[in-house]
Amino acid sequence: MEALAMKDSAISQNGTERTLYPYVTGTSVIGMKYKDGIIMAADTGGSYGSTLRYKSLERIKSIGKHSLLGASGEISDFQELLRYLDELVLYDNMWDDGNSLGPKEVHNYLTRVMYNRRNKFNPLWNSLVLGGVKNGQKYLGMVSMIGTHFEDNHVATGFGNHLARPILRAEWREDLSFEEAVKLMEKCLLVLLYRDRSAINKFQIAKITEEGVTISQPYALKTHWGFSAFQNPSKGAEGSW
Amino acid sequence: MFRNQYDTDVTTWSPAGRLFQVEYAMEAVKQGAAAVGLRSTSHVVLATVNKAASDLSSHQRKVFKIDDHIGVAIAGLTADGRVLSRYLRNECINHAFVYESPLPVSRLVVRLADKAQVCTQRSWKRPFGVGLLVAGLDETGAHLYYNCPSGNYFEYQAFAIGSRSQAAKTFLERRFESFNSYSRDELIKDALFAIKETLQGEKLTSSICTVAIVGSGEPFHMIDQKTLQEMIDAMEIKEDSAADEAPMQDEDKSTEAAPMDI
Repeated sequence: MEALAMKDSAISQNGTERTLYPYVTGTSVIGMKYKDGIIMAADTGGSYGSTLRYKSLERIKSIGKHSLLGASGEISDFQELLRYLDELVLYDNMWDDGNSLGPKEVHNYLTRVMYNRRNKFNPLWNSLVLGGVKNGQKYLGMVSMIGTHFEDNHVATGFGNHLARPILRAEWREDLSFEEAVKLMEKCLLVLLYRDRSAINKFQIAKITEEGVTISQPYALKTHWGFSAFQNPSKGAEGSW
Repeated sequence: MFRNQYDTDVTTWSPAGRLFQVEYAMEAVKQGAAAVGLRSTSHVVLATVNKAASDLSSHQRKVFKIDDHIGVAIAGLTADGRVLSRYLRNECINHAFVYESPLPVSRLVVRLADKAQVCTQRSWKRPFGVGLLVAGLDETGAHLYYNCPSGNYFEYQAFAIGSRSQAAKTFLERRFESFNSYSRDELIKDALFAIKETLQGEKLTSSICTVAIVGSGEPFHMIDQKTLQEMIDAMEIKEDSAADEAPMQDEDKSTEAAPMDI
């Protein structure tokens, strides 16, 4: 009777289930390489459907000494991933032998985890951005919830792919200074703020260089709503509706 | 011998606190044909003596490539060595699959040592009868390790194992302090010299030895016979011109190969 009553459930004939949709979600993450390392930004919002339920989520975390991980999608799955990575970094540190996990290794590990979960029809519903610097080498990659993974000079998740990447394709350069990179990032974040319904005006920008990780305190961008069309909103709206 | 009372089982201690079965396993290593390893800051060289059981048969394989960045040379029960090489290759390939990067040499040798230790603490197992010289390159530099049947491992600048390895060790002890600054070719040359020491007068040719090298920009590979013979010839020309030694004796001075070497 269960399979009949709960059309929302995915219990099939043999009683197995699969994840259908996420519940608390984060929106876009943007990442790009710049002269000294990687810069990554995300807002601090967690939506529960169309409700803005959580307004102070940190969606970018540092992993080990050399990597940053940003995630969009299901927040609880992101927290689960952080637990896996915590254990991974712990064992790596316990070796205490001069070797350490770099961004390439973490990226590949995450790919394996995501792909294996997808194969069991129980995905971690996230799009991940993994960036880092090790031995002078900059690394920036993405992993999706189905295990698709790639590296690039700039990446974004969710709406960022549609709204931010075109800007980055036009204006990104290999030798951006930190200030220029932040400006470019804020340009992308502003577009997302205007156009993505689940974006909020509270961002964190994180940077990672050979020296280490800095995650900024949350801050807001200046928005402009003083358009003449907004002055008299119902001006062109005569009619029965 | 008086130690025979406590040597039946690997899980029996002697009153003196020794595990004789483990020590006997290390004897097997000492009976095998010689292998040497040398390390500089950027390269590691392995060289072995390959005795064939008879002229009709092929030579024993004693050097195995484990991954692009790691190789091993073995001495002792070569069958055990082959099985352990398969294990090492598996560990490397599994790591590379998950992390897309080479397994650090130190972590590989620890896993090998732990595997060897298990066999010293189970009544239904016996220790591996093979010693491995593990040569590899990773982020932290060039490394040479020796893994013992006892489960111990040590890192070395240079080392020799197998029969008559003491002669090679004496040679290496005189020279090892300058190895770090050696070029690739100097390292190979000294490896060949060290192997020659273990031959005790028998002629060194590329058909009875194997030399392998791994280094920055150079994945682990064995040096082909032709190049090797050229290096040996160049060595001997320099030696003869120093010319205070009697010329090499051609008569075959092979000792009986220990049973495990076949």
